[in-house]
Amino acid sequence: MNIIRLVMLCAALTMLSFAAQAQGKPAGKDAVLYFVWPQNGTTIKGGFWCRFGLRNMGVTHAGDNFQNSGHHHLLVDVNEPLNPNEPIASDKSHLHFGAGQTEARIELPPGKHTLQLVLGDADHYPFSPPVVSDKITITIK
Amino acid sequence: MAEIRNIKSGKLGGEPPRESMPRRLAAIVAGDIAGYSRLMQIDEEGTHGRVKRIERDLIEPSILEHHGKLVKTTGDGFLAIFDSPVEAVRCGIVIQQNMVGRNASLPKHHWIEYRIGVNLGDVIIEADDIYGDGVNIATRLEGIADPGEVYISGGIYEQIKHKLVCGYESLGDRKVKNITDPVRVYRVLPDAAAYGRTRKRRETVLISLLSLTLLIIAGGVLWYLLGQPSTRVADRASAPASSQTGSSQTQPNPAATQAAPSSQTAPPAASATQQAAPNVQPVPPAAPTAPQAMPKQQPAVPPQPAEPKAGVASAPVSPGTPGAQASAVREPEMLPLRGGTFAMGSNDEASEKPVHQVTIKPFAISKYPITVREWNECAAAKACTFTATGKDDAPITNVSWSDARQFVAWLAGATQKRYRLPSEAEWEYAARGGTQSKYWWGDQLQPGLANCKNCADAPGAEQPLKVGSFKPNPFGLYDMGGGVDQWVEDCWHKTYQGAPSDGSPWSAGDCSSHVIRSGSWKNDATYVRPANRDSYDTNVRYPTHGFRVALTP
Repeated sequence: MNIIRLVMLCAALTMLSFAAQAQGKPAGKDAVLYFVWPQNGTTIKGGFWCRFGLRNMGVTHAGDNFQNSGHHHLLVDVNEPLNPNEPIASDKSHLHFGAGQTEARIELPPGKHTLQLVLGDADHYPFSPPVVSDKITITIK
Repeated sequence: MAEIRNIKSGKLGGEPPRESMPRRLAAIVAGDIAGYSRLMQIDEEGTHGRVKRIERDLIEPSILEHHGKLVKTTGDGFLAIFDSPVEAVRCGIVIQQNMVGRNASLPKHHWIEYRIGVNLGDVIIEADDIYGDGVNIATRLEGIADPGEVYISGGIYEQIKHKLVCGYESLGDRKVKNITDPVRVYRVLPDAAAYGRTRKRRETVLISLLSLTLLIIAGGVLWYLLGQPSTRVADRASAPASSQTGSSQTQPNPAATQAAPSSQTAPPAASATQQAAPNVQPVPPAAPTAPQAMPKQQPAVPPQPAEPKAGVASAPVSPGTPGAQASAVREPEMLPLRGGTFAMGSNDEASEKPVHQVTIKPFAISKYPITVREWNECAAAKACTFTATGKDDAPITNVSWSDARQFVAWLAGATQKRYRLPSEAEWEYAARGGTQSKYWWGDQLQPGLANCKNCADAPGAEQPLKVGSFKPNPFGLYDMGGGVDQWVEDCWHKTYQGAPSDGSPWSAGDCSSHVIRSGSWKNDATYVRPANRDSYDTNVRYPTHGFRVALTP
């Protein structure tokens, strides 16, 4: 009886792992995506250079499956949660940097805005687990 | 407590009478010293003396205290019989625990350790010995016991399990020599130390099974992951089929069948092969009439949204078509536009300002976005770098601006016509359809007019929908707004400050990104506005990005 229970436990564990598989490439737990500039709470007059930081992973162009690397996406005023099973959306609030850029000139209308970085893999899917930065809030004067 | 009769008859050498061969159910305790020969070899006299002392001081008194009877002692062991299984096991435990005390002050290789086995059986009692399977089992149990342990049989266990309060570890059914049925064996755990050893063993088994499972899972995941990239890359960048497109007009393009793996059509009819089958075109009913209505220099080419299941898709080709030229390729269905002046831009977004007047020269633009089928002709001709999968009349997606340029370059070369990408001004002019309202149908969003997020009636369909799934705009163009994003020729500028006003593409400045129009099925309705514009990296592909072509007359 004990052996049977043990075997069933092992089988259940195996099933679990296959169910939980997300679409994106795997990423190390120690990958850190962060804003070099601006920082949370910064007030900026006019346009600014938004600089993206990435630690323990590399930046490459979209479409490249080089391991442990991805490309940046900047989410501006996005409130919906990230869907790990879809490519990161391409629209005016999801800026893609598929050529491997690590900074961008950003101009936003005056007021408060949120910024967040998401690293995408070769097919623009979030990594698994997702490599995202903190969501920071800045004020444009 | 029952007394044990003294069964010793005192008679020696007499043959035991047959009728006085009494049998009794009793608990048999068999004990044996582990490694007796080794101990004797180390220290014969010392060991012998110690064993004798133990027998005298520990074994015999313990048995008597527990109301048992010592049947016999062998050189290195003993055999005892008890009426009560509880007492028998208690005696065994007492002996073992005492032995621990006695061994405490000695080095390990001098330890005298007993193995004890206890069994419940119906045995033959004789003067100075007992016989029967019950005895043999007890002896075998003792033989498999670890030194310092008490092993009991299933029968004993059943009797004492709720009476003698200590732990019992089941060792399963053991096959015992010369006994037919396997014997259920239990190990007695009189104290915490013994229990700890058990737990440790169980833990080891569990951990090893768990790590095995995890290893298998990890192996499976690795296998899957290593398999994935090769298939995904193959989707996008696989070399097109090997056969060459014949440039001679008599050759139908056979490569399309090989190139498009999902294509179900027979080789598409080139102008040379006449198939008179009339086409059933359920989706764009206006399509067959339009070519006739506009008999300009455009040849009537087979409309692409025909059902691929119907087999060969073709339309009647008007005579005098430049079939003698290089039009062995299927050309997209083009719509000529008169051109004129219109107000480009809007005040809704910073990128759409300033609104400015643009004069467009006459040009033609494709009625639909370029489809998978059309793209794959380019792939078959090895002029486009990947073969698209997907339904033939779905718009081509996952193309970069550079990919789109490759297609138009191939199309222009193959047809000797001035095919190109439309400029942004031409695109917006065409998308407005002669209107200046927010959407081409008016200022309010109406559901079911464009393929965008939360604006179509048919969610859940497989996207992208095939071209021409919605009503055309006033010019007769389909999917200008929603559907797939469409590349235009212009480089990206964040506003229209300094934009050309003659309808030509704005190709100066930073061309690391280009303008992309129309929005896609994933974007909301604001992207459907003809004034809406966005940018994307020039050489990057994205799953909602496609294009349509323009033609300079």
